[in-house]
Amino acid sequence: MRLSDASLAIRPRPPWEACDLGVLLARRHAGVLMASWAALTLPLYGLLTLVLWDQPSLAFLLFWWLKPLYERLPLFILSRALFGEVPGVRQSLRALPGELKAQLLPSLLWRRFSPVRSFALPVQQLEKLSGQARRERLALLLQRDGAPASWLTIVGMHLEMALWLGLLGLLYLMLPAQVELAWSWQDLLGLTSDWLWIEHLSNLLYVLVLIVWEPVYVACGFSLYLNRRTQLEAWDIELSFRRLRDRLAAALPILLASLCLLLPGPGGTGLLQAAESEPPFATESAAAPAFSRAQARERIGELLQQPPFQNRETVTRWRLESAAEDEHDGSGLLERLGRLHRLWQSLDGVALALEVLLWTGLLLSVGWLLWRYRAWLQAFGLRRRAQAPAAGRPPAQLFGLELAPESLPADPAAEAARLWDSDPRAALGLLYRGMLSELLRQRRVVLRASDTEGEVLRRLEQLREPDLQAFAGRLTTLWQNLAYGHRAPPTALREPLCSEWTRLFGRGVQA
Amino acid sequence: MSERNPPTGTTVPSEPGAQRPRAIQLVQALRQELRKAVIGQGAVVDGVLTALVAGGHVLLEGVPGLGKTLLVRALARCFDGEFARIQFTPDLMPSDLTGHAVYDVKSERFKLRRGPVFTHLLLADEINRAPAKTQAALLEVMQERQVTLEGRALPVPQPFMVLATQNPIEQEGTYPLPEAELDRFMLMLRMDYPEQDDERELVRQVTRSASADMLEVTPLRNLLQPQDVAMLQQAASDLPVDDQVLDYAVRLVRATRDWPGLTLGAGPRASIALIRCARARALLRGGDFVVPDDVKGGALAVLRHRVRLAPELEIEGRSVDQTLLQLLDQLPAPRL
Repeated sequence: MRLSDASLAIRPRPPWEACDLGVLLARRHAGVLMASWAALTLPLYGLLTLVLWDQPSLAFLLFWWLKPLYERLPLFILSRALFGEVPGVRQSLRALPGELKAQLLPSLLWRRFSPVRSFALPVQQLEKLSGQARRERLALLLQRDGAPASWLTIVGMHLEMALWLGLLGLLYLMLPAQVELAWSWQDLLGLTSDWLWIEHLSNLLYVLVLIVWEPVYVACGFSLYLNRRTQLEAWDIELSFRRLRDRLAAALPILLASLCLLLPGPGGTGLLQAAESEPPFATESAAAPAFSRAQARERIGELLQQPPFQNRETVTRWRLESAAEDEHDGSGLLERLGRLHRLWQSLDGVALALEVLLWTGLLLSVGWLLWRYRAWLQAFGLRRRAQAPAAGRPPAQLFGLELAPESLPADPAAEAARLWDSDPRAALGLLYRGMLSELLRQRRVVLRASDTEGEVLRRLEQLREPDLQAFAGRLTTLWQNLAYGHRAPPTALREPLCSEWTRLFGRGVQA
Repeated sequence: MSERNPPTGTTVPSEPGAQRPRAIQLVQALRQELRKAVIGQGAVVDGVLTALVAGGHVLLEGVPGLGKTLLVRALARCFDGEFARIQFTPDLMPSDLTGHAVYDVKSERFKLRRGPVFTHLLLADEINRAPAKTQAALLEVMQERQVTLEGRALPVPQPFMVLATQNPIEQEGTYPLPEAELDRFMLMLRMDYPEQDDERELVRQVTRSASADMLEVTPLRNLLQPQDVAMLQQAASDLPVDDQVLDYAVRLVRATRDWPGLTLGAGPRASIALIRCARARALLRGGDFVVPDDVKGGALAVLRHRVRLAPELEIEGRSVDQTLLQLLDQLPAPRL
């Protein structure tokens, strides 16, 4: 292996960049990779299908199980291509049996489900390690790149599934409706044997997906492996030294000659020889020959026990994690608590303001609701109260008439008699108003604004006072004649009416 | 069908109110006669007479067997005019009401055949059993007292009055009257079951009569000529109405428009009907002028079919009458 011949820039990369490099690698050699893969897998799949025609699922499973077998082929091509000699399809296929020899059985059996399959493949195929050596090598390699390698497999699985399901969806979309109908019917009737070709077709789709994806997967694993080794073995430094040496090779004789002139003596050449022949990492171990291996191990152990490798301390009581620096101000906590308390108190004011605001809002909204639905409330809410007998003070004004006793003259009857001739309307109005007022005040008759004269009379019937009833009837008729019929009352009625009023309501006697 | 001309020689009194005593006497006699025939429905009899005097139409609502048709037949019997009865059925056509042109083979010409609406008293029995187009055939004749047939407007004889009956409990196979049609009825009267004493008297009379289960209307006196009805209507419209009373009626109708609990109030036609109804009631009462009691007494019959109850109250189970009574209860009566 000559690193200087590698066709890619060798330098340490993050794992994902390494994967990206793998994709690039696969793309560069896509033709030969995919063609050889197809040349290997398609006939194999055809064979499996023919043998297991009645069990498409089994054929699929077998094909899937044999994936590590096919993966040897792309790795072979990639390992050759890395150093510039890309093998052809035929050449690679011819080389395959040789590649398969190395630990094929473990790959197909217990290592089949290894999550780092493509990453571990170069170890056994290219380095040809096995047993304990392989295990140690892998443990070293997987120390840092184990997770990306596993993720590569998981992502690959999903990508495979997505591509395959997409193709399957396309296939079912392309099925004519009649075919699909016939299929579901026959499926229902259990005649699935006629439809095996569809299952084989869907298996074939999986095989096609693998042609695209598997070379990429192997290439990514391979580039991850290369990256890990670059980091471990400092390939890039080695490469730059080699480049340095190549550049200096031409100028070396002149350099040597000038050095010889400047520094005569054997020591100078010895140093130069040492510098040229040994790699820089080797000098340290050569300069310290005083330690034996056991002593070195001891010294290393001691060093590892000291800071910064170890920070040991013994703690015998509970403490807060950051209390070490806060220890000096125990009052700080109290102060902070005090501050919190003050903050709380200041929030109290805000809460009070908020409470006041909420109560005001509630009262305002209740008021607004009352005002908004006042018509409804008057119509329905106050109805019951209106039906209850008005026990309190009689209303001072009713029907647009002043009914309060104070608004009437001391003796309405006398006043009416006086007005009878000059203003009969005022006289009769006075008598009628007086009667209603006295009915409200003395007899406690329930009168409402909506009552007409006729209804007032009907309410009087409940009092069972024939005299009063007859008088009220006469007065009401006269009043109506005047008010609505515009007929003046006969003068002859003045005396009997006024005296009757006084007799019934008795105001004139006191007056 | 009727080929006679509308009465022309109605005597218009020279002085308003001159014929009032006679009118009052006549209407009282009529009321007496009708109450003899229709027992226990005094309020409905008064309502029908009110409509007759006010020149309006009546919609009678009541469960079957309360004497709706009997009342109308009795009225027709007391009234020496023409009477036609139409049983409304789902297949009744507008031309069955108004009439149509028929081809006379002998004269080889189209002859106009007048429908049953050309009469004085029209009984539209179970009016809500006919579909809307047939009900609409009544709109013109009820409002304008004329029928347009083959492009010619033919007046119906005067006086003209429609008495329609409908049954409130049956909903199946009936067509509710549209608002425009309802508005043309001056009054909507509700008939209720008679009192116990009245019912006893009624049963006694019916079982004594010769025909199986019908009240006899033949013994009723023929009191009224078509001209007399015109005289009654004239007398009623001559009754003075004080501005306060008029204002009360208008206030009442206007209150229905923004009254909570009513989604649809009554229109101006209701105010007009209310005043005319109040005048007729005053005449029936024997009064010389209209008092607020007349307005208030007729308000329910005038308004109840012209307003629509709010859905909330309908769900609550309140009736239109209850809501209107409440309105009447809260609207201040006029005073001076």
